[in-house]
Amino acid sequence: MFWRKRGLTDFSEEVKAHLELETERLKAQGLSEAEARAAAFRAFGNVTQAQERFYESGRWIWFDHLVQDVRFGLRQLRRSPGFTAVAVLTLALGIGANTVIFSAVYAVLLKPLPFKDSDRLVFIEKKNPPRGWVRNPISPAEILAWRNESGVFEDMAAFTQTSCVLTGMGEAEEDPCETVSNNLFPLLGVAPLRGRTFSADEDKAEGPRAAILSFGLWRRRFGADENVIGRAIELNGASYTVVGVMPANFSHLYATPYGTVPEIWVSGIALSPAHSWNDYFGIGRLKPGISLHQAEAQMDPVSVHIGEVHPDLRGWRAQLMSLRMMLSGDTRSALVVLMGAVIFVLLIACANVANLLLARGAGRAGEFAVRSALGASHARIVRQLLSESLVISLAGGVLGVWLASWGCKGLVALAPPSMLKSAPGLADGAADLRVLAFTLITMLATTFLFGLAPALQSARPHLTETLKEAGRSSLQSPRSRRFRSALVVSEIALAMVLLVGAGLMVRTLAQLSRVNLGINPAPVLTLRVPLSGERYKQPQAQAEFWRRVVTSVEALPGVESASVARGLPIGDWAGQFFTTYDQPNPPAGQVPDANYVVAGPGYFGALQIPLVRGRSFNEHDTQSATRVVIVNEQLARMYWPGKDPLGKQLRMGTATGRAPWLSVVGVVGNVLSQGPEWGFHAEVYVPYQQFPWVLSPEHLLVRTAGAVKPASMIHAVVQEVHRVDKDLPVTDIRTMEQVAREPMAQQRMMMALLGAFAGLALVLSALGIYSVLSYTVAQRTREIGVRVALGAQRGNVLRLVVGGGVRLAVLGIAMGMAAALALTRLMTDLLYGVRATDPLTFSAVSIVLGTASLLACYIPARRATMVDPMVALRYE
Amino acid sequence: MSTREQKRRLELLQGTLDLLILRTLIFGPQHGQGIARAIGQTSDEELLVEHGALYPALQRLEARGWIAAKWGTSENNRKARFYALTAAGRKQLVRETTKWRRLATAIGRILGPEAEEG
Repeated sequence: MFWRKRGLTDFSEEVKAHLELETERLKAQGLSEAEARAAAFRAFGNVTQAQERFYESGRWIWFDHLVQDVRFGLRQLRRSPGFTAVAVLTLALGIGANTVIFSAVYAVLLKPLPFKDSDRLVFIEKKNPPRGWVRNPISPAEILAWRNESGVFEDMAAFTQTSCVLTGMGEAEEDPCETVSNNLFPLLGVAPLRGRTFSADEDKAEGPRAAILSFGLWRRRFGADENVIGRAIELNGASYTVVGVMPANFSHLYATPYGTVPEIWVSGIALSPAHSWNDYFGIGRLKPGISLHQAEAQMDPVSVHIGEVHPDLRGWRAQLMSLRMMLSGDTRSALVVLMGAVIFVLLIACANVANLLLARGAGRAGEFAVRSALGASHARIVRQLLSESLVISLAGGVLGVWLASWGCKGLVALAPPSMLKSAPGLADGAADLRVLAFTLITMLATTFLFGLAPALQSARPHLTETLKEAGRSSLQSPRSRRFRSALVVSEIALAMVLLVGAGLMVRTLAQLSRVNLGINPAPVLTLRVPLSGERYKQPQAQAEFWRRVVTSVEALPGVESASVARGLPIGDWAGQFFTTYDQPNPPAGQVPDANYVVAGPGYFGALQIPLVRGRSFNEHDTQSATRVVIVNEQLARMYWPGKDPLGKQLRMGTATGRAPWLSVVGVVGNVLSQGPEWGFHAEVYVPYQQFPWVLSPEHLLVRTAGAVKPASMIHAVVQEVHRVDKDLPVTDIRTMEQVAREPMAQQRMMMALLGAFAGLALVLSALGIYSVLSYTVAQRTREIGVRVALGAQRGNVLRLVVGGGVRLAVLGIAMGMAAALALTRLMTDLLYGVRATDPLTFSAVSIVLGTASLLACYIPARRATMVDPMVALRYE
Repeated sequence: MSTREQKRRLELLQGTLDLLILRTLIFGPQHGQGIARAIGQTSDEELLVEHGALYPALQRLEARGWIAAKWGTSENNRKARFYALTAAGRKQLVRETTKWRRLATAIGRILGPEAEEG
């Protein structure tokens, strides 16, 4: 039956008629009116039950019940606002935390990439296993050979990252930029929003120079002009024709961890098999059915062949990574750990609410006994209780989503730049439909997690016992006490795991910040001024510009010294081969390499890098003087062990190169140029005024005097730069502190989040112990009263209660420790200077958790000692 | 409540009430009380039918379309809801009766003649 055909009144009429007919029949047999009526009723049985069964035969009855139950639940909850507030808030925090982290997990790891068949797209780099080098950029020679000869790719595109200074239309602006091969866009399966992508002709060096704009740049600098296609723009002083505009979300999607999100794509990649410089990345589409490993294996023989043609590419092999992996990068393990952590928090929250519900259920035993005596079925009471739970978790969910919208903002503020880059949707994460669906499922799951067991327990009251004891607090069955204790133990165990995780991150960060980077970042301000255009074609003009800037900045009050460099001391890596005079022909594949830093005089002073031997650069190290170089201690130790490095000769490039020989004039201290995790590398410093091989300086480093904060000098310094040339863009203005902190951004985020979650877990589990113990104390008031009346001392009572709590805490801590030993191994990637099983962390965390538990025990225990035996006994 | 000795009567087997109702209605439309009385009388008061239990069964049969109901007047001029067998109900009765007879025969065979005494 799909609808209720008859109204309940109609049915009641029928029952009434039945009873009257039966009464009349019995009267006709000679019974009195009263007797006949009683007999008729007796024969009929339970009238109300018959009516209920009739009512329930309708199909929508469950909905009816639900509405009833929810209404009733709301009334019940309103009657105990304290309980409701605690339960809802607890769940809201759990659900909110889950929503925030899941939105990040979704944005970074799960959201499908908007490319055609994106699971076949791979990012192509190379590795040199014997030397331990991984993820290196590749060369045109390799790109062409791998694409044409390996037979694993449907197609392969290449790109290289540069920067484009946009001039000739108001204030000059520098934008991240990529030179790309024409097949990149078709390979990804992305069409331009306006215009077209590049043609094969435009790939050639002498081909037409074309540019494609990002949606953002088109809107910002071109006012979303529909006529931008065909317009000529000036990039780095050369004229390019705009041929297309990409859709809004495109730029972000293949941002690599190495570079920034490109705003402009330019043509003219001009790949040639003769070029072996390693400045490119590849994106390939594998043929269907070919795995990453197969592809790498099939590319190896091609790599060997390349090495025969280009000795400097010998020893390198292709390294493939799925595009998804490449984009999520090292945030993957961080997110997995965080997701685990928030699930733990939610479980703790559920255990806590379940505990509260059990206590409340025991208090309501009388109510349930009466209801089942009146004919409510077991299932009906369970449903009733679950509906109450549903109301709680719905309220918690709504509040949780609201909290999550704040949490997401916090996460974005904490997230390392690499994570934001790979997940542009992170900021509006919680608003995503799939994330909301996840939250809804979480909510329903939690309802059952925390609501089912208490409902099943409470709905089975010992009918007669409870009714007989009406007015007295009902007894707690040993089974339910054991269940509640188990809940508390698991809460403490989960909290223990979270606390260990947070503790390990705290230790990691402490270790990281204790590391001496080799520089003193505190008083230093950095900024970048890319020089481009006709005016700075000549290196002399660039040198002159920098000389004037440094001089005028150094004249500013509050500035101690200033210098210039190509690249920053932390995070900017420019690996180059070099050859020492002592060993001009190293075996192939063992050519020495070092970080190559072009620096000005005063560089070491500005960063306070100690000069160990020899001299620093000075104003006399110009083009006409002897070519000089300064090396770090690491390089000296590696290549001239036990010898005096001063006066030694080296030159950049491989043995076959023609770069000039450079004399070592100084040795400086080591700098952790890749961040603390990567250790020291060999480094060479060359003076910019000798116009060394490649690249002029771009970065200005300003060291402030005394207590002057570097950030306070920004305006004055930028003004000085513009006084020298007002048309130049000034970008990347940061304090050296910020630069130095960046490699730790991930650990910092992990510490903050895990710390917050662990703190929450600590509070919740302490609350768990507290609620169980105070309930037990309330239950045992009479027993305690009797004990006190029989002469038990305060101490005995205290021991009795605290002992119970401590047993739970110790058990929980022990179990948590075992679980943590197994689980923290997942965090190994995120740790620095501390092992996943660090005994110090484990013991410190146990003490914290133990202390919190003791405190939570103390309050109910104190209450127990206050029990007045007279009151307790009279209570009966 | 009642001090009167209740006569020990047989509890109905699950599913047999529907069959008894259909069988009762073969003699013409009847109201609930009438059906209850008829089952009691024809079984020599051996079968215990709680009158209240009759109504969910009637409800069920009506929902399946085996019986139809309308309000009418009883022999002593009382308003009552009368139930009548439909064509589908008649077929169902035949089916159920056959099934029941076969079942009863089979059980009787298994129990044997001497077990008849209860």
